[in-house]
Amino acid sequence: MKIGVLVKQVAGSESPLRIDSNEKWVDEGSVDFATNESDSYALEEALQIIERSGGEGEVVVISMGPADRTPKIIREALAKGGHRAIHIQEEAPYETDPFMVASIFAESIKDESFDLVLSGLQSDDLGSGQTGVILGELLGMSTATLVMGVELQDGKLRVKRELESGWFQWVTLPFPACITIQSGLNQPRYPSLKGIMGAKKKEIKSIAKGDIKVSGTPMQEFSKLYSHKAEKRTEMIEGSADQIVEKMVDIFKKEIKAI
Amino acid sequence: MEASHHVPVVLYLFALIAIVVFIYNIRRFLAIRIGKSDPDYKIKIIPAIFNLIYFGILQRRVFRISNIYAAIMHFLIGFGFFILLFATTVDFFLARGWFIEYLPNLDTPWFAVLNDTGGVMALIGILLALYRRHFNKPKSLPQDAFKGRGNLLGDSGILLYILVLIIGGFLSEAARLAIDMPSTAQYSWVGYQISSLLSSETWTALEQYLWWSHALLSFLIIAFIPNTKVFHTIVSTINIALTDRDLRGKVKPMFVSKLMEDPDMDPDEISLGSTKLEDFTWKQLLDSIACTECGRCTDVCPAYNTDKPLSPMKIITDIRQELYDKYLNKKDVDGIVGKPITETELWSCTTCGACTEVCPVLINHVPTFTDMRRYLVLSEGKPHPQAADSLEKTMNTGNPWGFSKSERTKWASDAGIELPLMSEKKEADVLYWVGCAGSYDPRNQKIAKAMVKILESANIDYAVLGNEESCTGDSARRLGEEYLFETLALQNIETFNKYKFNKIITPCPHCFHTIGNEYGDFEGNYEVQHHSQFIMELIESGKLKLNKYIDDNITYHDACYLGRHNGEYEAPRKVINSVLKDGKLIEMERNRKNSFCCGAGGGNMWYDIEDGERINNVRFQEAIDTGIDVVATACSFCTIMMDDAMKLKGKEDTMQVLDIAEMVASAL
Repeated sequence: MKIGVLVKQVAGSESPLRIDSNEKWVDEGSVDFATNESDSYALEEALQIIERSGGEGEVVVISMGPADRTPKIIREALAKGGHRAIHIQEEAPYETDPFMVASIFAESIKDESFDLVLSGLQSDDLGSGQTGVILGELLGMSTATLVMGVELQDGKLRVKRELESGWFQWVTLPFPACITIQSGLNQPRYPSLKGIMGAKKKEIKSIAKGDIKVSGTPMQEFSKLYSHKAEKRTEMIEGSADQIVEKMVDIFKKEIKAI
Repeated sequence: MEASHHVPVVLYLFALIAIVVFIYNIRRFLAIRIGKSDPDYKIKIIPAIFNLIYFGILQRRVFRISNIYAAIMHFLIGFGFFILLFATTVDFFLARGWFIEYLPNLDTPWFAVLNDTGGVMALIGILLALYRRHFNKPKSLPQDAFKGRGNLLGDSGILLYILVLIIGGFLSEAARLAIDMPSTAQYSWVGYQISSLLSSETWTALEQYLWWSHALLSFLIIAFIPNTKVFHTIVSTINIALTDRDLRGKVKPMFVSKLMEDPDMDPDEISLGSTKLEDFTWKQLLDSIACTECGRCTDVCPAYNTDKPLSPMKIITDIRQELYDKYLNKKDVDGIVGKPITETELWSCTTCGACTEVCPVLINHVPTFTDMRRYLVLSEGKPHPQAADSLEKTMNTGNPWGFSKSERTKWASDAGIELPLMSEKKEADVLYWVGCAGSYDPRNQKIAKAMVKILESANIDYAVLGNEESCTGDSARRLGEEYLFETLALQNIETFNKYKFNKIITPCPHCFHTIGNEYGDFEGNYEVQHHSQFIMELIESGKLKLNKYIDDNITYHDACYLGRHNGEYEAPRKVINSVLKDGKLIEMERNRKNSFCCGAGGGNMWYDIEDGERINNVRFQEAIDTGIDVVATACSFCTIMMDDAMKLKGKEDTMQVLDIAEMVASAL
């Protein structure tokens, strides 16, 4: 079994997010970077699938991000047990369109002929949740999202998908498959020092994003980044009781949309 | 009668056989050769002699009021046998006719009294021990009285054997007195009484049997000393002499970064941490052989006392058991972490050092436990799952809470405090190390603010590192994550070395211990003071003018890493006393070196061992029972743990947990 795992480096959940001067990204100076949470679970699942099949196979870690900071999480993934890595190096401004991201990944890994590609269900920074699915589509793989459990059965993949309100669905997919993993389905391992030492000798193939020829064009564009502003506004409603009630009902209906 | 007496030659033959068998059996001592050499260990003659006399012969750690029964019991057996050993040696010289003119003989009045008194002491001691072993049995002792861990006959078996031996000694003495009828017979006050019980004909008939059985039983036990619990008289004494007490609790550096620079290093070939017996040092293995299974370590262990699956004694004797299995029984012993020593046992340890503090034979438990944790983390990648989370956060953000590196001084700016930064000043008299807790934990931020008030009031030329400060790596190191610890240590040392300052002060004993005692291994040598010491000096030199204002009664909870690990018990107490008006400082039952851990040390701050009661609740209950209003602390973790326990006990309206800095700041 040959498995590719997409991992992304994102701002850690406690990082203060300030908007950069170009208003298109956050100021990275105050950010502590970490591996995207659900990607850690995807990596762990890949490692466990290989372990369950007696160690036969390979886990290839694939990441896109700047050359200065991304290798940290790639090394970490290799320390945990990934066999080798592909790093698509990009410089700011970062690719934010899921279709383009997936196209770049598809182009750079199509020759790998993975049996299975795993990714987190969404990135904690942009959260579009589309990259994995589009990638599967572009590579002609069967896809499933929000995966909470993975089983290999008679040469097929059986996955448990999370639905709304505590409901689950079991789906059987043929290989090759591309699935996106929901956080919490396993316990991601801690990198041992032995793993960290061993990772130093593992291959990381770096490709410049510019060298990857992709035919499509971005389907969306970031025009401006805003930060959430909490605002308080008080409006005094005056008039007779009937007028006040009428006005309030109107506000509830049209502005707050509560009734 | 003539001074020398006749001994059959065949007896010497038996003695020779006993000695040969003894030598054969004592080879188990050589099992420690399996262990690693310890290049840092140097035998220190003066401390070794001191240890030998104070802890060995005088058995200082055995004699504690808190364990008075065992103290008396062991005194009687130990000193009873010292006397009997002396008597037997004299008797041997007499039989050989050596130094006869200088030596007393068996019927010299004082010698006869001494001899019988020794026997009686040992006899009573043995009976007390048997009573303890079977009737008021403390639960920390090995539960099977006839099966020791690596000991032949177990505890009670050997006690009964010695009992028979002593009685046999008295009987053969009685027979001799009855037959020889020396004029001073009544001085052998036990043997003399016994001799009057039977007729001299009966004694004559029995004499040879009694004498020979006593002699043979004595030889038998001598031959098998190394196999039984009696071995502690030899091996524990050796351990006591060889223990360097300066290394108590000292974790050995692994120099991981150097290891990683080596291009020929094969990660599969090296061992990281300890699980195989070969991974332990010879001294750690000697510790295990030296354990007498007295249970004192387990009795004081905070984990054991709150029903967590840890008994320090069990771990130490597990190592011995496996060592003997491998060395004597030639069994395959692959690794001991996992089985018989479980991960939960290892994670239950708070590294508080109470075990090491009470061990009568000077075993250094904690670093051995840390080495096994290192195996779990560094070789297996298996820290406690909850701890893994905080280790990863420390790795990514430089603090175990996972808050942003860039918001390390937000506590000050939010409060309108303008902190002097080292990056701007470059030089200051005092570097105030705020610590992660002071920087991010809301409860400890109050202590950090109090410290600023104190520093400003005393007009101290100080600065902080601000965002350049990073976790010292204490929790990481205690958890066995030496790589992370070393990364943080090297990074902090590099930061320190950019600036000029005379000393570092910190309100966190963990930071204090790590920077002060452990960074030196990485060429980071600084004068470090805990805030209790620093504040005490400010008060004593008159730089702080305090209004005594506290009318409440206070107890002080000793932090393990300030007290036991660094011997500082008085500074915080002096500081507290300087702000008490009508209030009193009332000690809890367990205080100073006998203090009971808050439960957060050794990385336990970051995970919960589900079993049993919470350690902080037990400690806080002790404070409640003292009848005080305020629990004073001098440690970031202790403050959090005591504060939590106060809330869990529903005492937040009637009691307070205050750091000494907060108490002082309020007195300014």
